[in-house]
Amino acid sequence: MRARRIAPWMAASLTVAAVALAFVLNALAGSHGEETWTGVAYATAALASSGAGLVLAIRRSANPIGWLLLANGLVLVAHQVATPYADYTALEDPGALPGAEWAVLFHERAWPTLFICVTAIALVFPDGRLPSPRWRPVAIVAGVSFAALTVVSLLSAERYSEQFDHFSSPLPELSESVVGLPFMISGLGSLAGLVAAALAVRTRMKQASPVQRLQLKWLAFAALLVPAAVVASLIESTITGSEGAATVIASVIALTAIPVAIAVAVMRYRLYEIDRLINRTLVYVTLTAALATTFAAISLTLGVAIGSGSTLATAAATLVVVLLFRPLRSRVQVLVDRRFDRARYEGLRKIERFLQALRAGRAAPEATGEVMADAIGDPGLELFFWLPAEEVHVDASGHVVDELPTTGGAHTPVRRGGLQLATVVHARALAERPDLLESVIEAAGLAIEIARLRVEVRRRLAEVEESRARIVTAGYEERRRLERDLHDGAQQRLVSIGLALRHVQGRLPAPSPEAAELNATVAEVAEAIEELRELARGVRPAGLDDGLCPALRELASRSPLQTKLEATEERFEDKLETAAYFVASEALANAAKHAHASHVTLTTARQNGHLVICIRDDGVGGAIPAQRSGLTGMTDRVAALGGSLRVESPAGHGTVVTAALPCES
Amino acid sequence: MRVVIAEDQVLLREGLGRLFEDAGHDVLAAVDDADRLRAAVSEHTPDLAVVDVRMPPSFRDEGIRAARWIRDAHPEVGVLVLSQHVESAGAVGLVSHGGFGYLLKDRVLHVAQFLEAAERVAAGGSALDPKVVASLVGGDADSLSALTEREREVLALIAEGLSNHAIARRLVLTDRTVEGHVRSVLMKLDLPESGDAHRRVLAVIAYLRAADPQR
Repeated sequence: MRARRIAPWMAASLTVAAVALAFVLNALAGSHGEETWTGVAYATAALASSGAGLVLAIRRSANPIGWLLLANGLVLVAHQVATPYADYTALEDPGALPGAEWAVLFHERAWPTLFICVTAIALVFPDGRLPSPRWRPVAIVAGVSFAALTVVSLLSAERYSEQFDHFSSPLPELSESVVGLPFMISGLGSLAGLVAAALAVRTRMKQASPVQRLQLKWLAFAALLVPAAVVASLIESTITGSEGAATVIASVIALTAIPVAIAVAVMRYRLYEIDRLINRTLVYVTLTAALATTFAAISLTLGVAIGSGSTLATAAATLVVVLLFRPLRSRVQVLVDRRFDRARYEGLRKIERFLQALRAGRAAPEATGEVMADAIGDPGLELFFWLPAEEVHVDASGHVVDELPTTGGAHTPVRRGGLQLATVVHARALAERPDLLESVIEAAGLAIEIARLRVEVRRRLAEVEESRARIVTAGYEERRRLERDLHDGAQQRLVSIGLALRHVQGRLPAPSPEAAELNATVAEVAEAIEELRELARGVRPAGLDDGLCPALRELASRSPLQTKLEATEERFEDKLETAAYFVASEALANAAKHAHASHVTLTTARQNGHLVICIRDDGVGGAIPAQRSGLTGMTDRVAALGGSLRVESPAGHGTVVTAALPCES
Repeated sequence: MRVVIAEDQVLLREGLGRLFEDAGHDVLAAVDDADRLRAAVSEHTPDLAVVDVRMPPSFRDEGIRAARWIRDAHPEVGVLVLSQHVESAGAVGLVSHGGFGYLLKDRVLHVAQFLEAAERVAAGGSALDPKVVASLVGGDADSLSALTEREREVLALIAEGLSNHAIARRLVLTDRTVEGHVRSVLMKLDLPESGDAHRRVLAVIAYLRAADPQR
């Protein structure tokens, strides 16, 4: 594990040191040294390859591409060092350093090594694996061929280039008749390997997933810069007669671009930018070409007319080009947009804007589905969230969707970290553009996850609320059962016992002590019955069976306060009537006990689909809910039924308790 | 007095039967639900039907509904409804038609008063449980403020369905004193004087209900 972290750094450091060494050697080589731009190009290629390799080998150490890039950097830098080494110690200052003949040999005959890493990368790009197991023999043939070609090339007796002609190889040199056939076979094998590598990229392009397609696009884009650099170099040498700044800049860009593109593709960092990059590049290349042509044409025409080298011609051409820049740019942009796919870029921009709005709190995550529909351009697109605990799909408002709509639609699951988050139902036509759908889903992934979590939390909360209401209702049912048991069980039994005692008493001679005792016993039984009746009333007034209004009437008649009742005769659900009754009972008790009230008004009514009960007393007010724990308990029960309870109690102005309970119908 | 009893609890049903029989009345039938009650009343046309409010199957108000049916189908049969608790709403409405009584079950333990009320109802009079009367009188202090304590007592007993003589016995007063109180009460409440105890009950109950329209 430690070696895996240290090795990339060592390889990269070695490359950097070698590049520095190469420049030093080249300077020492003096007039025999290479041209500067060659050195810069080599250095760029080696450093870029090594840098990209370093990043990948650390961040994606399981993917061999990083290591291959590091190796490629070392190979390039080895060649870069070998050449000025040979120049210096073989030509400029013979014998200054040891091993001149080895440096010359490497410089002259080790060229096949340059292709090995590049071919390997092309074969395994971008996921680090061959396109399919069937490619394994191809990879083996290519590897063996390159190795063989390198060996054959080093051992061949082919003449060195002119300046090194007087050196001889430190290795045995085999004659043409011996190495000819192996050279041809291994050469053909290596060539086949190169072609196969190109074919591998093509094969992947065909069966690529949308993400892979983007990765390959990056590579292709960077690769296209190489011929562009060659063209730039040709133009420069044609105009100025030699390669200079333009060539150096173009080759540096091209050579840097490839490893950087590989790194971007493998890291999947800003992967989606490629379309915009290609778009912009196309726009500016076309624009530059058009403006350059215009400039050339005008200065040439005017030059012929006014005279060559005229500053007027140049000024006029410049003016025209400046004036043309803006309108031409927008024209070219429209043209490129129309010609090349912009739908996805626009779609992703919409998602990006939505995510920004989401972060700023200007949008709700539940709107993700609609935004996706807009971004993709499929108005029928719907997003259904998957709740793994319940194993159901729900829509953005939390309603369960038993079966996802299928008419004319296809389903695409949304996954994140291996878990299914949602399912997108979309037009079947979108299946032809899976890259568009997939990239939009990927971009909206976080919003989908947030929306899913919110929907799930809301559903859970609703469940808890429902179960709370059920518990309260069950409590009321329990009270009803208890009241029945007291009345129809214990109380009846006591009456029967009393009757039996009376019967016995009737048989005794009237003025007997036994009869008097029985009489007292019956009186006690009667008292017990009375107590039971009061107990049962506290549990649940039987009057509630006839409705809230009769029950409240009975409650009011028992209150020690002057109680005015204005109640609707309308019937409500049993649980609502029971809850309202207990609110009234509690409020009346408080009015008598704490508020020192003398008059109470009790009203009930149906208002806006609510059973509203209001208890108003003329007492001292200033009630603090906490001190009236009975009312606090009522607040909870009313809330459990989805209602609300309000206590207004300004000191000195009486207390108003209002409860509103939502009716189901 | 010929009696039919409807009560779903065996012990209580038997106890009630024995109570009436001990007092020398005929118990023609003792049944346990409203349907059998209707059949027994139709068969025997008794003087009195004693009916439990809560009976199978729902144990809600089967007894009250059966009482209404008897009043309509056999108006000559007195109905005495026995309840476990004070249900003023339905009871007061029925009492105002006469030949009807509404008593809490434990009144049966006061044998003499119970039988007196039963006989009154069988004879076409009325009987309203003191608890119900108390709820009628108690919550209405304003309209009754003109009455003295004793007069209110008398008013309650009138509402219960008692005759002057019965009131006199209950309060241990002479008949003449009671007559004086009754006259005073009716005058103060501006009610017509009547020798008929039942019509007097109706007037008093109507007054009490009118004084508070919610009752």
